[in-house]
Amino acid sequence: MRNSFKKKCTTNEAIVAYTIIVLSLVIGLMNPAFFDFSTVITLSRAMLVTLIFAVIEMVVIISGGIDVSFPAIACFSSYATIRIILVCGIDNIFFFYAIAGLMGIFFGVLNAVLIAKLHLPALIATLGVSSVANGATLAFLGTEEYSNIPSHIDSLSKSFLFACTNSNGIVYQMTSLVLIPIVLLIIVYLLLKFTTFGRGIYAIGGDKNAARIAGFNVTRIQSIIYMGAGFLAAVGGVTYTILMRQASPQNLMGSEMMVIAAVVVGGTRITGGHGTVLGTVLGVVLIALVQNNLIMVGIPAHLQTFVVGLIIVLGTGITSIRAKHIANSAKV
Amino acid sequence: MRQKVKSFIVEVNKNNLMLFLLGIAIFIVMGILQPRAFLRAANIRGMGVQFPEFGILCFGMMLAMISGGIDLSLVGIANLSSIIAAVVMLKEGGSVYSIVLGILCALLVGAGCGVFNGFLIGYLKIPAMLVTLCGLQLYTGLGLAITRGPAITGLPAGFDKIANGSILGIPHSVIVFVILAIIVSFLLRSTVYGHQMSFMGTNEIASKYSGINNLKITLITYMISGILGAIGGILISSHYNSAKTDYGKSYTLLTLLIVVLGGTDPNGGKGNVLGVTLAVIVLQLISSAFNILRINSFVKTFVWGLILICTMVITRIIDNRNVRE
Repeated sequence: MRNSFKKKCTTNEAIVAYTIIVLSLVIGLMNPAFFDFSTVITLSRAMLVTLIFAVIEMVVIISGGIDVSFPAIACFSSYATIRIILVCGIDNIFFFYAIAGLMGIFFGVLNAVLIAKLHLPALIATLGVSSVANGATLAFLGTEEYSNIPSHIDSLSKSFLFACTNSNGIVYQMTSLVLIPIVLLIIVYLLLKFTTFGRGIYAIGGDKNAARIAGFNVTRIQSIIYMGAGFLAAVGGVTYTILMRQASPQNLMGSEMMVIAAVVVGGTRITGGHGTVLGTVLGVVLIALVQNNLIMVGIPAHLQTFVVGLIIVLGTGITSIRAKHIANSAKV
Repeated sequence: MRQKVKSFIVEVNKNNLMLFLLGIAIFIVMGILQPRAFLRAANIRGMGVQFPEFGILCFGMMLAMISGGIDLSLVGIANLSSIIAAVVMLKEGGSVYSIVLGILCALLVGAGCGVFNGFLIGYLKIPAMLVTLCGLQLYTGLGLAITRGPAITGLPAGFDKIANGSILGIPHSVIVFVILAIIVSFLLRSTVYGHQMSFMGTNEIASKYSGINNLKITLITYMISGILGAIGGILISSHYNSAKTDYGKSYTLLTLLIVVLGGTDPNGGKGNVLGVTLAVIVLQLISSAFNILRINSFVKTFVWGLILICTMVITRIIDNRNVRE
């Protein structure tokens, strides 16, 4: 009994949670404005799209791969769709998501063929796809930014779940788009925990050959993962466009680094086979907290890249040392 | 006689032969399309200043890849070490001595960053991809903390000659590139270290059990890679005559592409300097051709990605066929 309690207190999720609590206390002590409900709203707005990306990245990493093409896919599909929408004058949210999703699936299929069928290294294959998608967006679709989103689609960015007013009288509103990552998280949690498919993802991440011999169809599972990743990347891109009320061909580029960091800090092992939804959420919260509040603590802007990098190195270092420790400890 | 020629062709690496023919094909096509602009001495000289910058980074990437890892932090190391060199040179007052000191510091910083990468990869067993991806962020961040954003300018007179000067019409950077190519080739072919490294890249566990000190090999590999990064950084900053954190941002993808195109196995164990050198030249020819034909530079990103994917797919299909036979 005591043993299991102790185990629960030293899991990776717990360590990340302690870090978050300590960090919030430090930020709050240095700047009391942090302890306000509005912080939750600002943070969840900042985390929203990262969460969508982090969930797909987590599933891909659990399966033993990696995907760095999602920002490019997200940009391409949301930007291409908004161009179609503006040219044809279609003002429909469902259409926006569906067409972008289809484009995302197309790139997902490309990734799936390269990685699952031809067995190319996932990092290099997705880097290539990323370059193709990003180059195609900028070269063939243009570099202009559009802020004239049609009114019906735009209305989604102005629908809120609830609002609160802080002491200075500024109204903070929780956007209803936050429901997308929440629903996604629940679905992925159930998928990973309670379906044969989900257990198969862990199995092929742990040992591909063992999984194949155990009867999992490795190619099919990998294909579905990368196609799903492409689709969800597009969903993330569309959500970002609506949230920012602006379509840009490359404002998401470069976010892959942060997302991978968040996933790994959350305890997902980059070598595959391990990872939980809760850990990923905590990892995203931690990274978002660091990114958004370094200024509140008084760290100047030009030091931020370094500090974020340091935190990632420490986070991954701790995860790896723990993994090494577990591997070396006595097996029962 | 014919048999001799045939066996010679078989012996020369097929990939390298293909690259060589590709390079000649580009020359011929561009020579017909834009003979004035492409074959002009200025264009060829311009290419000579450009390709060593990323070519040297490619050697670092190649070494890391042969050892079974990858080094995505090269651009970060390059910029950080050139920034440190710039700071040292400005502090020491811009004499020839200060330039030498600055370059030495840059090499030290490069080696230090490389050893740090190697330590995390070899000792803590964090996957190379993750370490170097974090490293890129870390080194760029450190550079940003030093420069606070803008480029460091006003470097001593003479520093810009390193990349922009020439001896007998050959740009200095080409000479540096050739020397480094010979050194790296020597390391790979004729030293114990080189062979141990490719063994480790082929099978890490087997190399451990056959008595190779994997940690040492990893540390040395990433240190050399870091030093090569620093040399690349000095050439870049000398070319622009300033130092900044976001020079050469596109080089990460480019070096990866070149190294794979040059016949290095992304899973480790195989790779040769000649192939990578040929790939560097081919890529520079393509890049130059694009500039002369005034094609949108974003198309370049697209085409590079496409070439990367196509090369890997073709290599994979050929490999599969060979295995079946």
